[in-house]
Amino acid sequence: MSVKYVPVQWNRSKWVYDGIMLAAVVAFLYLFLYVTPELLSHENPINPQVHNARAFGACAFLMLTVILWIGPLARIDRRFLPLLYNRRHFGVMTTFVAITHAGYILNWYFAFSSSDKYAALLFANTSYGQLAGFPFEAFGIFALVCLVILAVTSHDFWLKFLTPPVWKALHALIYFAYVAVVAHVALGIMQDQQNHTFTVIFIGGALSVAGLHAWAAWHEDRNGDRLGTEEGGWVDICDARKIEEGRAHIKVLPNGERVAVFRHEGKLSAISNACAHQNGPLGEGRIIDCLVTCPWHGFQYDVRTGRSPAPFTEMVPTYTLRLSGNRVQVQVEANPPGTPVDPVEVPA
Amino acid sequence: MSRKETPFFVGYLPLPRGLGGFVALVSVALVALFAAAALLIGGTQDAPQDAAFRFDYGRQTVTGVVELTPYPLLRVTEGNDLIPPGKTLMMTAAGKSGVDMRAMGLEGKLAQVSGVVLERGTIDMIQLRGGRRGIQAAEGEAPAMQTEPLGRWRLAGEICDGKCLYGAMRPGRGLAHKACANLCIIGDVPPVFVTTQPVEGQDFMLITGPDGTRLPKEAYDFVGQFVTLEGDLERRGDVLVLRLDTPTIALVDG
Ligand code: FES
Repeated sequence: MSVKYVPVQWNRSKWVYDGIMLAAVVAFLYLFLYVTPELLSHENPINPQVHNARAFGACAFLMLTVILWIGPLARIDRRFLPLLYNRRHFGVMTTFVAITHAGYILNWYFAFSSSDKYAALLFANTSYGQLAGFPFEAFGIFALVCLVILAVTSHDFWLKFLTPPVWKALHALIYFAYVAVVAHVALGIMQDQQNHTFTVIFIGGALSVAGLHAWAAWHEDRNGDRLGTEEGGWVDICDARKIEEGRAHIKVLPNGERVAVFRHEGKLSAISNACAHQNGPLGEGRIIDCLVTCPWHGFQYDVRTGRSPAPFTEMVPTYTLRLSGNRVQVQVEANPPGTPVDPVEVPA
Repeated sequence: MSRKETPFFVGYLPLPRGLGGFVALVSVALVALFAAAALLIGGTQDAPQDAAFRFDYGRQTVTGVVELTPYPLLRVTEGNDLIPPGKTLMMTAAGKSGVDMRAMGLEGKLAQVSGVVLERGTIDMIQLRGGRRGIQAAEGEAPAMQTEPLGRWRLAGEICDGKCLYGAMRPGRGLAHKACANLCIIGDVPPVFVTTQPVEGQDFMLITGPDGTRLPKEAYDFVGQFVTLEGDLERRGDVLVLRLDTPTIALVDG
């Protein structure tokens, strides 16, 4: 909700978040780079370039895995939401770690020949017709390109420029990148392992991502938002007295949109459930200081108008609502974003 | 945990009470996870092949007869303590390049070579210094050298680039190293075939294409993999040379 764009709007949470993530990454790299060579004590050690490439590669895989854990974990248990808050910084960090991995490989395996190393990357192995010996580097390059695109477009400027739906779709690239990384590892280093510790960790990591997503989908299916029944252009939401002060009740409308009906100072107002920032679920937010606060990144809206407080300009659609006995109902068609609607008194 | 009891987190506000402990726990778990993964993954890497450049032996200068297979070999006639006469050396240049061009005019002649050796149990390869300091014609008559034909063989093993196998890179074989090995072989570094069973007391042999040609392009798809192949074997001093019968090369399943 910025009026002018700055690289990062720092606040304490972001500093702490980045600090913790950085601590995890530094711990990984330090132990891998400086402690494990001592543990291994090979007669003729692994070349430092390869050792380093493995450290950064394994770190990037673990980071990606954790990034993909965060979404489903937050859906299953909302206490994980703080991990979601600044996930993009972690994503950008991952991109740098992955680039470092690629750099070590490029300057080792693809260097020292009479050809340009970038050209060598493309022509050295062309066994595209086979699984074993497939140029698995191609999957790594694809994943790296995805990560760079995501990192470059991670800023809110791009979010606004591309519009949230397009931005969200673009950032689903992370899943393709992850699948590519899995293929990259499976057809590469895993083909050469005698010791299978890494194999177990790798397969466990990839399965955990798939498993958590399946669990979150199942969880949402059981506990997720329900479809409201429509009659004559009005959709039934719930018993008006059941909505707690400062909270909302979410229903799915026949057209697939979600509406959030909030109770504020004993009166009901309805706005779109999708936050103008990144489609966060506003109905799972709270009213803080008279403003609906998004659970994802804290954008705020006046529940009666769908407008962010000045100087911010974000707006979400509002819905006209009425009471039918004790039942609250909303009109199927949303009002244009930012349209004020008179709140409805909760029956005693 | 129901929504009602969950403390509500807003990024730019202080962490709500009740969430602090959970977030701290998750943070510690995250750092511990990364640390444990680093030790487990990093600490269980396979030992690479026991082979290395021997810069510590110093520069070696020996004389011998140059043979082109087409990959050049040196049949040592005047050696030293490390490389006695009768030894055969494969030769390579710095980086991923062979010395074919420099050896071309010296076939069957006596030459002096100078460089650093690579050792893998035995010393079978030398990386020459640049230009004429690395290889140059030597005075004297070249003695006749024996090539002993050993007949046709069917063998199982892996095609590698000889230089990485001999420790220029560790690890220097296998599929993760395939593109690098191809690049070496394209650059005329002598390719070798590492057999699963010793053959004539050796576990490796220089591998060439049929009739004195280089390793054919068709073989590149098989580099770094477990394959079977057939070809004519010959002994040149203490190095075996296999002339691949290209169509016989096949992947071994599993
Ligand atoms: S989605 Fe980011 S604040 Fe709502």
